[in-house]
Amino acid sequence: MNAYHLFWKRLRPYRTRLALLLAVIGPGIITANVDNDAGGITTYSVAGGNYGYGLLWMMPLVLIALIIVQEMSARLGVVTGKGLADLIRESLGVRLTTLILSLLVIVNLANTVSEFAGVAASMEIFGVSKYISVPVAAFVVWLLIFRGNYKTTERIFLVASSIYLAYIISGILAKPDWSEVGKAFYTPTFNLNIEFVTLFVTIIGTTIAPWMQFYQQASIVDKGIQVEDYGYEVLDVVVGSIFAVVVAAFIVIACAATIYKQGIRIETAKDAAMALGPLAGKYAQTLFALGLLNASLFSAAILPLSTSYSVCEAFGWESSLSKNIKDAKVFFIIYTALIVVGALCILLPIKSLIRAMMASQTLNGILLPIILIVMLHLINDRRIMGNFAMNRWFNILVWITVILLILLALILVVVSVFPVLFR
Amino acid sequence: MPYISQLMGRPIADIDGEVIGSLSEILAHKVGEVSHPKIVAIEAKKGSHTLMIPIADVAVLIGPAIALHKRKSHIVPYKPDEDDLYLIRDVLDKQIIDTNGVRVVRVNDLQLTRIENDYFIANVDTSSSGLLRRLGLDAISKRLPNKGKRSAPTGNISWDDVELLSIDQPMRLKVPREKLAELHPADLAEILSDLSRQEGRDILESLDIETLADTLEEVEPDFQVSLLEGMPNERVADVLEEMEPDEAADLLAELPKDRSQELLQLMEDEEAQDVRKLLTYPDDTAGGIMTTGYITIPPDITAEQAMVVLRQLSKEAEVYYYIYITDSQNHLLGVLSLRELVLAEPQTKVSDIMEKRVVTVHLEDTQDECAQIIAKYNLIAIPVVDDDNQLHGIVTADDAIDKIIPTAWKKRLPRLYH
Repeated sequence: MNAYHLFWKRLRPYRTRLALLLAVIGPGIITANVDNDAGGITTYSVAGGNYGYGLLWMMPLVLIALIIVQEMSARLGVVTGKGLADLIRESLGVRLTTLILSLLVIVNLANTVSEFAGVAASMEIFGVSKYISVPVAAFVVWLLIFRGNYKTTERIFLVASSIYLAYIISGILAKPDWSEVGKAFYTPTFNLNIEFVTLFVTIIGTTIAPWMQFYQQASIVDKGIQVEDYGYEVLDVVVGSIFAVVVAAFIVIACAATIYKQGIRIETAKDAAMALGPLAGKYAQTLFALGLLNASLFSAAILPLSTSYSVCEAFGWESSLSKNIKDAKVFFIIYTALIVVGALCILLPIKSLIRAMMASQTLNGILLPIILIVMLHLINDRRIMGNFAMNRWFNILVWITVILLILLALILVVVSVFPVLFR
Repeated sequence: MPYISQLMGRPIADIDGEVIGSLSEILAHKVGEVSHPKIVAIEAKKGSHTLMIPIADVAVLIGPAIALHKRKSHIVPYKPDEDDLYLIRDVLDKQIIDTNGVRVVRVNDLQLTRIENDYFIANVDTSSSGLLRRLGLDAISKRLPNKGKRSAPTGNISWDDVELLSIDQPMRLKVPREKLAELHPADLAEILSDLSRQEGRDILESLDIETLADTLEEVEPDFQVSLLEGMPNERVADVLEEMEPDEAADLLAELPKDRSQELLQLMEDEEAQDVRKLLTYPDDTAGGIMTTGYITIPPDITAEQAMVVLRQLSKEAEVYYYIYITDSQNHLLGVLSLRELVLAEPQTKVSDIMEKRVVTVHLEDTQDECAQIIAKYNLIAIPVVDDDNQLHGIVTADDAIDKIIPTAWKKRLPRLYH
């Protein structure tokens, strides 16, 4: 046996381990990528553009919360081999399931609207009217999923996701003052004005969106990841979450270093991209716009898909992308309706697309604590989880997160109902 | 007939009218030959206190309230048995397999029936009106009489046709899967594709080697691999031996190299050799899709002798409508259809009645070409030969058209997420 063979033989245990890792990895990273969707990019741009580095301190905390939540979803998926909607139905009964899923459909519809708003905004940067871009995008997305091959579609989008790196580059191109950035990470700021609280809840809602738990768990179940590989799945989740939040932080930094410094007030991701042009160069603007378009299209395809899949799973309706619509009528109807209604909302003469986009992310922030409580209930059930039920410390950590989220949502409601008090 | 959802939460009162609690669980048990489980006990719950009441103590089950004919203190609590079915915990809202409709559905409700003084589970309700009933929206489903009627036949599944998925039970009650084993392997494969991989593996575990092999042949290669992931190598090797060599080779080609080598070592030499040979040809060529399950006979025997050989070999052969005649060096000399052989005079020599101009394909011909030739000559299978006219295998019509006309369930995208 020559040296080469010996070398490979020595490597075998590592090779097997690497192969295993590659086989398992995916759901977490994909979910995290879809996470930085149109709503997300807009929210981070507005946060950076209007508050500078002021909200950066949230990012590490949001990251921890994101990892905790996505780890729970991964654990539920790996241990039970069932989707979240499935588990909710089986342990909470019909009524609560109907309630939770109705909320999910409404919130995800709002999110879909914001994805199409993202399409409209990014194409407007390139000078294409929304009356052309949105119907075309809706049709393309619908066709891709129903007539195309989902696997290929997903791969195309994933490769295109490397455009997200553009945000990191944009951030660096914007030449921020790094010492100021560093300091911002440990200098919390908070105030009770409605805009600030809304943005606060929105950042959480967009980074830890409820659909993510449904989507990630479904893809873990679908991959058939087994309990032995749980460790790799956690790695997948952590890497994905870090990537998502790092990209988010860089969007904030890019906008803070340029737009905020110049004292420009922005309302949309489009404003952000336009403002980036003269400040950080034409490339930064184009990259920003392309990133937004890709993110919007990817999420506009996945959100309705994940929603109709969850609904059908919960109620036992056939769900498939079969070419024969009769086989999965409800699935088809929900999917198509979400896309059509989502796209139509954008075509209506609504004054501010940005309000719609941000509102959808705020709704996420409000639905999130409900989903988290349900997940906590499930993950603590030893009948379902066996020895993989949560330990006490983890439980306390999640409960603190949930209580904080509920408090924030409450503050938001109070502040929006009585805005006068906080002016 | 009453539904379980109508009983859930009903107050239970003893003979003195004292409310013991409300109904929180119903236990059923299979008795004798009757395939429908009989209700054996109900559980009353008050606060955190529960009491299992034997069904014998219940005077009125179906009614605005459940009345017992004993005093609370006289009730001897029912002791649940290992085989008892917890209808609300383990059946309601869960997924089941409808073996008649060949699909996986969710239980929205359970319909009871009374025979003399016993209650049995009659049907599983999977309809939308069942869903509305659970939501307390009966009125709506009644107001849509047409819709109700239309969905009734599809929504109600007799318990006879139901197979439970036991994955939920931590102690894994071993549900016998007789009904599943009776299904056609293609149907079984379709059900597997509807289930999560974990549930799929669970079902495969309960099948015998032969059914398992037949079913796996109907499943797509990448799905096959994930189903076999957790299975011990010895069992997989047994399954591979049972599968047609071409299917086994396809499956092995999908597995990681280390594992497929181990499996080949574990397989019986003869089968392993066939599979090894098939593995050397590319997927989409005649060599890649051919199988070695065919029958050959020498040219100098009589029709009668040939029939004897046929009887001995037919078990191993995938196709026995064609009998191939080869010399000692395995050169293809001719072919005989089963019909010709059966109708021939017993004493005629095989070489006298065989068709000498055999339509063949070459090892390296593409799958498309195989399909076209098979279609052109209306064949069931076609022999595969090398440059020297040596017979290596046969391509069956179904394997050849597989790529051109995929099986119905293959048409749908394999999985939603990857």
